[in-house]
Amino acid sequence: MENLNILIIEDDKELALELSEILEDYKYNVVAVARNYKDALTKYYQFNIDLVIIDIFLGDNPEGITFAETISTVPNAIKPFLFLTSSKDQQIFERAKLTNPFRYLLKPFNELELLYAIEMAIEKFYGQINVFASKTEDTVIAKEYLFIKKKNTLKKVNFNNIIYIEVDNRYCNIITEIENFIIQISLSKVYEYLTQNFFKQVHRKYIVNTDMIEEISLSKNSLLLKNNHLISFSESYRDIIKSFSILK
Amino acid sequence: MYFKKAFIFILILFSICTFSQKKTIKYHSHFFEKIQSDYYYKNKLLEKTSDFFLQQKWDSVIVATSKVTDTKNSKTELSYFNYMRAHSFMLKNLYSEAQTEFKKIPSDFLFYNKVLYALSSISLDKSQFIKALVYLKNIEDRGITSMDDIEDISFLNDLGVCYLHLKKYDKANTYLSEYLKLAEKKGNNKELADAYSNIANLYYEQYKDSIAIAYFMKAYDISKKTSDNEIKRLTSTNMAVVEENRKNFRKALLYRKESEKWRELVYDQEKIYNTVKLEKKILEERKENEIDILKLENKAKSFQRNGFIASSILFLLLAITVIYFLIRKNKTTKIITLQKEQLSLLNKTKDKLFSIVSHDLRSSVNLMQRSNSKLIRNIENENYNSLSTIANKNALVATTTYNLLENLLNWATLQTNSTYFNIESLELSSILKQIEFNYRPLFEDKNINFIIEVEQPTFIKADLDSLKIIIRNLLDNAIKFSPENGTIICKSEVTNQNDLVNLNIKDNGIGMTAEMVKQLLASSPLLNKKQNQQEIGTGLGIQLCKALTTKNKATFHIESTINIGTTITLGFPKTEI
Repeated sequence: MENLNILIIEDDKELALELSEILEDYKYNVVAVARNYKDALTKYYQFNIDLVIIDIFLGDNPEGITFAETISTVPNAIKPFLFLTSSKDQQIFERAKLTNPFRYLLKPFNELELLYAIEMAIEKFYGQINVFASKTEDTVIAKEYLFIKKKNTLKKVNFNNIIYIEVDNRYCNIITEIENFIIQISLSKVYEYLTQNFFKQVHRKYIVNTDMIEEISLSKNSLLLKNNHLISFSESYRDIIKSFSILK
Repeated sequence: MYFKKAFIFILILFSICTFSQKKTIKYHSHFFEKIQSDYYYKNKLLEKTSDFFLQQKWDSVIVATSKVTDTKNSKTELSYFNYMRAHSFMLKNLYSEAQTEFKKIPSDFLFYNKVLYALSSISLDKSQFIKALVYLKNIEDRGITSMDDIEDISFLNDLGVCYLHLKKYDKANTYLSEYLKLAEKKGNNKELADAYSNIANLYYEQYKDSIAIAYFMKAYDISKKTSDNEIKRLTSTNMAVVEENRKNFRKALLYRKESEKWRELVYDQEKIYNTVKLEKKILEERKENEIDILKLENKAKSFQRNGFIASSILFLLLAITVIYFLIRKNKTTKIITLQKEQLSLLNKTKDKLFSIVSHDLRSSVNLMQRSNSKLIRNIENENYNSLSTIANKNALVATTTYNLLENLLNWATLQTNSTYFNIESLELSSILKQIEFNYRPLFEDKNINFIIEVEQPTFIKADLDSLKIIIRNLLDNAIKFSPENGTIICKSEVTNQNDLVNLNIKDNGIGMTAEMVKQLLASSPLLNKKQNQQEIGTGLGIQLCKALTTKNKATFHIESTINIGTTITLGFPKTEI
């Protein structure tokens, strides 16, 4: 599991420092702090960023909104972001609202409020609300990552690192190349979001990253995966294996 | 000889003329019946024209028919118009116009026989016997029906006369004898006399004088029995001519004298007739004038009446508009008065709020100033023991003042509706924890035990910032009114009714009487007088909470017992999952 990469866009040095400290405390990775619009754009494209915290006012102008608008116009470039603001002025908010999905945090804020806002921003961005606050789920599925809540912080796992997933009721056992861990997620969500791209269900209990398959044994109905993981597949999912093997 | 013939010729012509004129006027019954049955109420102009025709106003007929156009009327209607127009021309002796009009009528016209007959009459009048004969023969070929209103007698007479003039005596004889037979049958003396005269003329033309004279005599005798002076004159003139030709001048003279007598009588008769006609005409004109005057009077009266009605309607409308505007004015005045009252109340509230807030602020700042000078004095006196107490007190004053300002700002933005407001799904226990995070020093200061009994997760629907403002205000109050070592419990319970999640904020502080609760919840922000400088606030906080809960579509309820504590219950809508 990796830490989330966060870009802070804030012209107030003290506040930027305070923010960085809180985030580092909770194991978030502050990759950069940008002080103006131009700086922000450069750094945004320079790093692999998971979330942006944007102060609406950089100087006297709402440049933060301009930044959000800019990244919104480029397809696939947009990442979850969070506005920081000291006023809830209707006019400013009407403009900020256009950069949907939008989440904000009112200054002054404490660390719990910040963490809650980050979680909400991720949930809202990926359209899976009420996940991290609930007791039954702790994972939001993004395009290339799983965002998992561990204690008070969020972690991410890249799909490429997952060998296979073992589904067990409300829990999923994630087996990666270096570690195993259990996440809580509803099954329907797993099937809805996960199996679309490079994951395939091969068994009632197993979802496999197809890139990790090293050997298919049709006689034994088993798959040999990376790191010598051997799992069996059931007859009912055989067709999938077939189509897959032809493709390969 | 030539003279004689000419004379007879004139006689015959004369008789025909008198005859045909009367005929044409008399015999149109079928024609107008047909118009009446087919076109009355349908064609106004045709109706009018036929009326003129029946009243023998020939000029009017001509004027009326001149308006007729091909487009508006059918072919048959046009034929009717043409017939009436032509007939009128004929009776005005405008023969050529009459002929052109008659010739416009197509042969399939129902009353085409009448047309032909009229044309023959004109030709006879113009002495064009061959033409007349052609027309009459045509009628004979087509056959006369009762529709045509042509009398056999006169038809035969006309035919006979034509042949006579064309010197075809045989045929003339046939027709004239037939005419005579019919006349004898009918027993009309006048016609009989006429018939005898015609036959006599026939024989006379053929120089069969003896037979002719016998007939002339017969005609003369019969004419005596009639009252018609004209026929009497004719027969006597004929006799005179005959006797003259027989050189019987004495008799001729007698007959001539008699004929003169009859002529004078006819002349007199005509004179009388004309006078009577003139009188009648004058009378009619007078009557018409009277009618015109009456019509004018009627018109004037109706105009007057209409004017009266119109003016009364106008007045009514005017009155209605005036009343309408009065009512509207009244309404607007009422609304304005109401608004004025509301405004003045609001203004009063605002003034009061201002005075209380400024009082609060002044006393806070004043307190701060005094404690600050105390602090300085203590530092000067190097009395360091009491410093921390004073600093703590200062911090508390700063916090309450900050809260007051915060509420004031929130109140202002709420009133102007200028804040962003967005109801979404929120997790209550997380939010309570976030708020608690800031209140920890305050709880520790009073050694208050703060317990959150909210199950995680509890999802509610609310606007995040206004929810925080509400809870902060309630916690401020709870802390303010709680004793040292008190307990404040935040507890949630899911109610089945209305799908609400209730959040109870319960303290064991000084509590309030029912009266105080009522006063606090009064809809007009009746701000409490400061009974206790330290403990009782402006009431602004509670008013703000109330207004915000309403905006969040949540419920707000206070339960309080004096010296036992207060429980405030907020009911938020659940998030549907």
